[in-house]
Amino acid sequence: MGKRRSPLLTGLLIVITAGGWIGGECLLARAQADARPAPPAPAVRNTGQRSGEEVFMQNCSRCHKPPMTISPRITGTVVMHMRVRAKLSRHDEQALLRYLAP
Amino acid sequence: MKIWLLAGCLLFCTLRLTAQDADTESTHAGHVPVISGGAGYVESINGGTPTLLPAIDPVLLVPLGSHVLGEARGEFVGVFNRRNGNGDYTGQVFSSLDYAQIDWLANTHVMAVGGKYILPFGLVSERLDPIWINNFQNLPLVYAIGLQTTGFGVGGQLRGVATQNDKFSVQYSAYYSAHSNAYQFTAARTTGFDTSIYFPVQHVEVGTSYQRFLDDPKHVNNTAVYLSWQPPPVPLDIKAEYDHGHYGQGYWIEAAYMLSQVPVANSFFRNVQVVGRMQQAFPDNGGGHGVPGVKTERPGIALNYYLRNNWRIISSYERNFTASKDTNLWNVGFTYRFTWPLWPGRKQ
Repeated sequence: MGKRRSPLLTGLLIVITAGGWIGGECLLARAQADARPAPPAPAVRNTGQRSGEEVFMQNCSRCHKPPMTISPRITGTVVMHMRVRAKLSRHDEQALLRYLAP
Repeated sequence: MKIWLLAGCLLFCTLRLTAQDADTESTHAGHVPVISGGAGYVESINGGTPTLLPAIDPVLLVPLGSHVLGEARGEFVGVFNRRNGNGDYTGQVFSSLDYAQIDWLANTHVMAVGGKYILPFGLVSERLDPIWINNFQNLPLVYAIGLQTTGFGVGGQLRGVATQNDKFSVQYSAYYSAHSNAYQFTAARTTGFDTSIYFPVQHVEVGTSYQRFLDDPKHVNNTAVYLSWQPPPVPLDIKAEYDHGHYGQGYWIEAAYMLSQVPVANSFFRNVQVVGRMQQAFPDNGGGHGVPGVKTERPGIALNYYLRNNWRIISSYERNFTASKDTNLWNVGFTYRFTWPLWPGRKQ
């Protein structure tokens, strides 16, 4: 269990959080202005290489509700994170990148 | 304070490098630092005692190119109870560093992780634990099995995809954690692995986890087997897990159904999720260490509503049955998932 925090520290935490929230939403709004809808998945499937849409729909929903949009600016970082967490292959990572940020 | 300054300098130094670094394989994916995570506010009533639980769990992601990722998650949670049972709410805010790790994404088969990481055991610890993912805010009764002593390891881990084709993929992780008493890096000496096979067409995953605890009590084994299934034509998510350890054993099974197939008022019902969960825990060797000390049964139901993709109102009711006393557990609140770039990045 942690230490009791002073009201000043708690207030500072709230201010920093609110600042991050507002600032983050502004950055997100800028980033999402560039976001584009995901393209249709290619019809052809290669052996061992699922399409980006398939990878997206099959893997994200194993744990959580898939996000509706991801800004291309952060797609690379988010997909790296999910590749580690969900143990995705390099092929799946590339398929996701092509699908989400072509 | 010095650690935060050092972390800030490191972040600043990597910003320009990473902001200009995009994946080289003909996509527009950006690799800028990101702060993600979840926040929530839950009122929990356990046996008639209300507790307010606001929480923020930010995850910092700092890519160094497209093959190395630094990631860390902090936790800030408040615990507020009524003074003397019926007075004002008073309490504390607790903060902790959940994990701080460097990932090297070498290739499909090997990803190396170093630092403080989440122990990969069962379905919950790595995947379902975040506040914005969990359908029930109360963790399973046997959650602590395989996660002693803190749920985190300090050391190294290998993970990746052993093999993959159109029909199935086999994934693994294996780790060794050293004993550590360092501030925010407390961990026990343990080793273990987790492996699962996933059938993408059927949306079925079956897995198992093993941990050998090398601190006192020495050479204790913990095991888990789990199942995850999302039958493709139905918005249903079924998960189940059985855990066995030195201090007890138990299981939980959960089914979550989105009401998107309701023909009337579909714009409303498609955002409604109904969840049922049943779990039992049986103590061994006196129980404790995160496992209930007496035989416990806990059926429950949850009703969640997605305001947006990343906002949801949550509610749940569970009934806790033990030989000595039965209690009700209520949770009401909301959760929010955020993903914000920390750097504008290049124009697309």
